Amino acid sequence: MPTAKVVVKWKKEKYELDIDTDEAALVLKYQLFSLAGVEPARQTLMCKGATLKDDTILNTLKIKDGSVLLMTGSVGELPQPPEEETRFVETMTDQELAETLKLPTGLKNLGNTCYLNATLQCLRIMPELQESLNNYNEPQINLTSSLRNLYRQLNQTTDGYAPEEFVRTLRVAFPQFAEQRNHMYMQQDADECWTVIVSNLQNPSISPPNNQQDMNIDDASASTSSGSSSVPAKRYVEQYMMGRYTVTPKKDESSGAASAVTSESFSRLSCHISNTTNYMFTGILQDLDESGRRISRLPHYLTIHFVRHRWKETTKVNAKILRKVKFTLDLDVTDFCTDELKAKLTPVKNKLIEYEKHKADVKKQLAVGKNVDEKEKAELQEKLAAEAEEVKKLIDPELAQDVGANVTGLYELGAVLTHRGRLADSGHYMAWVRQEDSDNWIKYDDDKVQAVTEEEILKLDGGGDWHIAYILLYRSRKIA
Amino acid sequence: MARDTATNASSTEDANDKLKDKTSGKNKDEKDKKDEVEELSEEDQQLKNELEMLVERLKEPDISLHNPALESLRTLIRTSTSSMTSVPKPLKFLRPHYATMAEIYENWIDSENKNRLADILSVLAMTYDEGKRDSLKYRLQGSNENPGSWGHEYVRHLSTEIGQEYVYRTVNGDSPSTDDLMNLALDIVPFFLQHNAEADAVDLLLELEAIDKLPQFVDSDTYVRVCLYMVSCVNLLGPPDDEHFLRTAHSIYFKLEKYSEAMSLAIRLRDDDLIREDFEAAGMKDALLQKQLAFHLARQQISLPIEDEEIEAILNNNHLSKHFIALAKELDVLEPKSPEDIYKSHLENIRPGFTSGNVDSARQNLSSTFVNAFVNAGFGTDKLVTIKEGHHWMYKNKDHGRLSAAASIGMIMLWDVETALNVIADYQTSEDYHVKAGANLAIGLVNAGIRSEIDPAKALLSETIEDSKQRDIVRISAVVGLGLAYANSHREDVQALLLPLVLDKNVKLEIASLAALSLGLISVGDCNGDIGSAIVQAMMERDKGQLKDTWGRFLGLGLALLYLGKQEQAETVLETLKAIDHPLGKQVGVLVEICSYAGTGNVLKVQKMLHICNDHLDKEKEEDLHQAFAVLGVALIAVGEDVGAEMSLRTFNHLMHYGEPVIRRTVPLALGLLCASNPLLNVLETLSKHSHDNDADVAINAIFAMGLVGAGTNNARLAQMLRQLASYYHKEPNCLFMVRIAQGLLHMGKGTISINPFHSDRQLMSPAGMAGILATLIAFTDAKKLILDKYHWFLYFLVTAMYPRFLITLDENLESLPVTVRVGQAVDVVGQAGRPKTITGFQTHSTPVLLAHSERAELATEEYISLSHVLEGFVLLRKNPDFMEEDRD
Repeated sequence: MPTAKVVVKWKKEKYELDIDTDEAALVLKYQLFSLAGVEPARQTLMCKGATLKDDTILNTLKIKDGSVLLMTGSVGELPQPPEEETRFVETMTDQELAETLKLPTGLKNLGNTCYLNATLQCLRIMPELQESLNNYNEPQINLTSSLRNLYRQLNQTTDGYAPEEFVRTLRVAFPQFAEQRNHMYMQQDADECWTVIVSNLQNPSISPPNNQQDMNIDDASASTSSGSSSVPAKRYVEQYMMGRYTVTPKKDESSGAASAVTSESFSRLSCHISNTTNYMFTGILQDLDESGRRISRLPHYLTIHFVRHRWKETTKVNAKILRKVKFTLDLDVTDFCTDELKAKLTPVKNKLIEYEKHKADVKKQLAVGKNVDEKEKAELQEKLAAEAEEVKKLIDPELAQDVGANVTGLYELGAVLTHRGRLADSGHYMAWVRQEDSDNWIKYDDDKVQAVTEEEILKLDGGGDWHIAYILLYRSRKIA
Repeated sequence: MARDTATNASSTEDANDKLKDKTSGKNKDEKDKKDEVEELSEEDQQLKNELEMLVERLKEPDISLHNPALESLRTLIRTSTSSMTSVPKPLKFLRPHYATMAEIYENWIDSENKNRLADILSVLAMTYDEGKRDSLKYRLQGSNENPGSWGHEYVRHLSTEIGQEYVYRTVNGDSPSTDDLMNLALDIVPFFLQHNAEADAVDLLLELEAIDKLPQFVDSDTYVRVCLYMVSCVNLLGPPDDEHFLRTAHSIYFKLEKYSEAMSLAIRLRDDDLIREDFEAAGMKDALLQKQLAFHLARQQISLPIEDEEIEAILNNNHLSKHFIALAKELDVLEPKSPEDIYKSHLENIRPGFTSGNVDSARQNLSSTFVNAFVNAGFGTDKLVTIKEGHHWMYKNKDHGRLSAAASIGMIMLWDVETALNVIADYQTSEDYHVKAGANLAIGLVNAGIRSEIDPAKALLSETIEDSKQRDIVRISAVVGLGLAYANSHREDVQALLLPLVLDKNVKLEIASLAALSLGLISVGDCNGDIGSAIVQAMMERDKGQLKDTWGRFLGLGLALLYLGKQEQAETVLETLKAIDHPLGKQVGVLVEICSYAGTGNVLKVQKMLHICNDHLDKEKEEDLHQAFAVLGVALIAVGEDVGAEMSLRTFNHLMHYGEPVIRRTVPLALGLLCASNPLLNVLETLSKHSHDNDADVAINAIFAMGLVGAGTNNARLAQMLRQLASYYHKEPNCLFMVRIAQGLLHMGKGTISINPFHSDRQLMSPAGMAGILATLIAFTDAKKLILDKYHWFLYFLVTAMYPRFLITLDENLESLPVTVRVGQAVDVVGQAGRPKTITGFQTHSTPVLLAHSERAELATEEYISLSHVLEGFVLLRKNPDFMEEDRD
């Protein structure tokens, strides 16, 4: 029986074996199994550029004393493919892609309806509105039910959606939108459309969503003091989109004694553009100052309208003011408010600003510092959450009860409706919408939907022939 | 330096002209104002009179007076030739009498005196040279006494005339014998060598085509400068002089027992016998030196059959992984890096938004696979593939992407064969055929440049290659794996495995051409006739339409690689290729030609390539691919020679402006080849410009070239450029993919690995490395169908060029020995006087240390003596017996 002393290398190990070279390699493999624990079937043995099959007789490979063999193979489970197959962007259909990316759907243009599409997309940023609409169960077809249907369908499809039903209803209800020229429906002013839709929502009133259970309990307990709950929930638009002014007439006006302070509601702030207006903020402030108004209630969603159109007597056209008026992504409106409201807002506002600064720092730290482990991360997040709670505690109790009101005086830009062109009833309208809880912006050019950057939004401030912001929709800053 | 020779010669002529001008000017002056003669100082007047008297005396028939007169003339001339700035006075005063003296000489009968007069006339002829080479004529007729005794200027003048006379005689052929010139030259050469004029000595012998006569005169004092000059000349010489120079320099080194230097030249000559001779001679002298030579050979992947196990381990590169990881520990870069660590996308100017987010993009994951592979190459650990759940990453890639993902294991565990094989084994049996194919490729990658007695690559891959039932991609991966593992090994048994695939017409062209490429890698530069004829045969016999396919070019590349650096041997193949009536014939012809002249800096060939680029072809009617190869050729020929490289940079600029699209697309690739791992600022700027080109193909190639140029350097400026590109192209998946790849290349081995195929002070070209880079670049000539489609794994061909750019010093037991070294920019010291510093702007480090391209290191103290003449890679040190401890203070 010819034997040979061989060395078998496996990982970092070296096994010295006496083998019978007349035997098949399988025998050697079993020997190795007992030493290394690698099953013979999983073993690969190599020697001098050849692999050893189970039935290879060892001496055919001229294995002799001192030969070195290499074994590969592992103990334990072989790596298995994961249960769930990875899906890739590249192989997804557009529909799947839109679903996974949560890229919202656009609206098809039905012939000069971009003013409407842009308006609808802007209004779509209010989830509360859609909830309210869902609660609206009147059977008859009117603008409200059409809007409800539209938003429902829009949320379900991923291809561009044609808002035929809504357009029809709108044109029936408001014939001015059915105006035709050369057998074509004409372009309309988006601002007008916006106003009509919003005011119409007030009409067959839709109730605000009852999403906050505890709020209702609060309401119930507080019912004795204020009348808020005795009156059936206020209308959605009134609660979420409308605020109140306090008007103090100017003293030197009229007979002096009649300077009674009155209150009136508003659905939007206007920014008149004069030759000196450079910033939206100062434009609005100027308007308020001139009329002696101050805000006493801030709505959750604040609409700002740039008064960019002016009737030019000379040419008989509705001309557009192209002046550059800068707006900001974040807006602090406390300066627009009455002193009383200001006092209520200021503490929570300051705390919120501080908190957000802190939050940004933490975020940065997590993004850059790779050495932060899970534990530390959790800790940081917990700390932030606690801080957020603190901010919430500072909210004025009266404001907290007012469902749909802004409690901090701070807003962030939610949607921009822009117009491109020199005249109000021509040109093109688009909507630019910020995704909720993110800094991602989406541009809706009818059914073309695209992600854009903040810089592109800020470029919409006018001064050229590019799209210019016409209506801004700010939403209250969240505390979280 | 042929050019220098020319300038030297012309400068001596210039000097002569000036000499003549001066003297003839003086003559005119003398005629114009005679009184100037009167103004001669008394001393000069006396000298003049004396000289005239002596000449007069020579005219006299009294022979007995001649000897003293000649003696006096001689003394007068000799004592005054020392000044170089003006014409020596005696020569000036004797000038009018030159004709007279020549006449006297003719009339004399042969005698001792006549010879002496010839000597004097020879010297005088320096100032009276009218292209008749009188100096030489009289010299040859003269007394044959040491020419050096007449001063340096005279010797230089003589050597110029020798050169001219030699050319005259060989061209006119009336007096074929040049022995007299040779004898004189051999008298002059030692004089030159002793007087620090080795350049003149070498040039003289070059002109006489007798450089092989040089070694007998060189000794241990002069060899350094002589050989340095000769080796630097090689790039500027045409064949066969270049080879003669190398051989002569080699024999000088060999004679003086400088085996490290000699070996380096033997490797450059690719002469196995010389290598063997050097290696054995070194072994006789010093066992440690032999080990050092083994390290040199291992770097170039040359194997010798050796009994000694320790040396065999060195030759097989078995130590590479161990030392590389030790280096990583020393530099504190062992910690694996994730692709995100490289991208630093928080610094990119785009928000994550909708392009990335929570969905896997196959493209982005694929780029992460490559980045991960390149960045962690050789370290054995990473954060994606070799971790416990590493196999999940495979499935984060789509189909063909899994191949590259599995293959990346080979890259990450590069050079550590035994550990890697155990990891790869789990994937080799995978049911997913892409993963399986990837495992095959991984086996090839991990074995790149490493040899072992067990031969695992062949053992594991050979069966797959022969098994035609396997899926194509699995076979292909095995074919490529073998090519990578045995690149530059010239192994016949491996060749035999692949050759049938090339010859069999029933095998798909894709497999056949990749088999040809693998054969080219394995037999790079050995002009293997069997393989060559097999590939040519395949090109002739295969369907013409088929060859038009993308894959045809790899058949050609396989053939071309066989002739890498072999100009003469390529001639016959070029002739054969001309007979192929197919565009491929022309394309392959260009490939073979450029490969054969790779790294030679041959100006004529560069011109020829540019000529090819000049044609403006109609793509519809005619194939223009050969132009792309010609562009690559310009770089390939010029690479490794600084002046040529500089010139081609300019040329490329022109091509970018006026070239056809196919040329513009290839120019960035050529730039990448020219400056691999050498991020020159101007090249980066150029590429950055092209990376925004309107033609997406140009942009993609430029981005890749940026990766090549910066490969393994961590260049911060380039990193910044690439981040900007990532922002710029964040919506274009192809470009973004390439930006990511470039980022991965830039941080290759976390900045420790270079892909420049030139090493050992940029004197030697690694054929395997060059072949690997070429294969990758050729794949980029059709990036859309290959790299950007299913064949992204062509990027792994770079593995053969990857080598740590380190300097590791080892003691006599081959253990790491930290010493202080100075590292600085290399300075070209050829032909400079004295002992100039070879590096500038140096910093002092402790080994192991990284060396950038064009950097050089020298030992900071004299405590150790290096056994290698170049401080690069592995260097063995020995204690300096003469070193005194107190020197340290």
